[in-house]
Amino acid sequence: MSVLAEVSGNVTAIGYGLAAIGPGIGVGIIFGQGVQAIARQPEAYGLIRQNMLLGFVLTEALALLGLVAPFIFQAI
Amino acid sequence: MSEQRKPEEDGRDFANAAWSIPSYLVAGMLAYGGIGWLLGRWLGVEAFFPIGIVFGAVLAVYVVYVKYGR
Amino acid sequence: MSALTVLADGDFVAPGPSIFNFPPLWPGAPEWATKPVLFAMVGALLVVALGWSAFAKPKLVPRGMQNIGELGYLFVRDQVARPFLGKDAERWMPLLVPIFFLVFAWNLMGVIPGIQFPIASHIAFPVVLALAIYVIKLYLGIKHQGFGGYIKNLFPSGLPKPVYIILVPLELLQNFVTAPFTHAVRLFANMFAGHMILAFFSAVGFWFLFENLTPLGAPIGVLGVVMAILMTGFEIFIQYLQAFLFTLLAAMYIGASLHPDH
Repeated sequence: MSVLAEVSGNVTAIGYGLAAIGPGIGVGIIFGQGVQAIARQPEAYGLIRQNMLLGFVLTEALALLGLVAPFIFQAI
Repeated sequence: MSEQRKPEEDGRDFANAAWSIPSYLVAGMLAYGGIGWLLGRWLGVEAFFPIGIVFGAVLAVYVVYVKYGR
Repeated sequence: MSALTVLADGDFVAPGPSIFNFPPLWPGAPEWATKPVLFAMVGALLVVALGWSAFAKPKLVPRGMQNIGELGYLFVRDQVARPFLGKDAERWMPLLVPIFFLVFAWNLMGVIPGIQFPIASHIAFPVVLALAIYVIKLYLGIKHQGFGGYIKNLFPSGLPKPVYIILVPLELLQNFVTAPFTHAVRLFANMFAGHMILAFFSAVGFWFLFENLTPLGAPIGVLGVVMAILMTGFEIFIQYLQAFLFTLLAAMYIGASLHPDH
């Protein structure tokens, strides 16, 4: 059987590429919906802002954990 | 955040927070991952490194919550 | 043998990080005298020339270059300086406007035919700019808040004492290492990745349409050329955005040192 496609190089790069999809979509949703919420209800700005930042930091943590995941699994 | 603040000050705080969040997360992982790595080398427990990284990430989330989220 | 090589004879080699390495400009030149260094200086001279021709003899009714200069000045003042520096905005404009124009000129060189190399994709250039901002930030912070006050203002108030002990490494590392690091890396990574994307699609188009034309490979070559054109447009937008963001973060750091309200 002949091999049509193969992966060469560093596999962890592909892993991080996959890991960045979810947080990317998540950050987009958070800021998109947050801006929409502020536009609909400017008087609730403080509350929306807090929750936007909280959601953003939780999502961003996932993205950065994906970045360090190769090192973590090397160490274990 | 108090009521008498001007909207541009709110916007400034928000931009400040949003732009420093990634550097907080990186700093948390770097600091506690590094401490965990050193402890692991010293005590011979390799699992301290990933534990430190996850602890640092959680701590960074907490710091951001305390500084900007309340 | 990869999937792409089935469609054409020979091996298609995707461009790697080696496209960022340049030999010295002429044989016998010193090792640092490469294309990025040359065009970094050209970019700096361009900014000086722009500023000179726009603002050397300002007229009440702007004409020619003064229009462009004032457009850029107003953009930086209203979008960057005023929101972050408030009433100190005018004082810091002489720093922020050249930074914006310099980074924008360096970035635009990524799409100018014949140059086609974004200077900021060599990390040394953004690092130097970020370090300059970092020194200004530290100096202003210590001058306006005092050394002890500056360190104290880093930490959030009103937490139990033991929590501060575990916060010390995090906050010190954040403020003194990762903040300037991310400042430089945002610009560098965007320019690096953008240049790689353009190089990849151009290489696909060139390989499948010119070097190795086959009926099966030609549509891929056409796709590569179309994507290269689309990505060039997108890249111009990203280049403008990154120049804006670099200036914005510089203003943000200076503003945070001037008015500590946390």
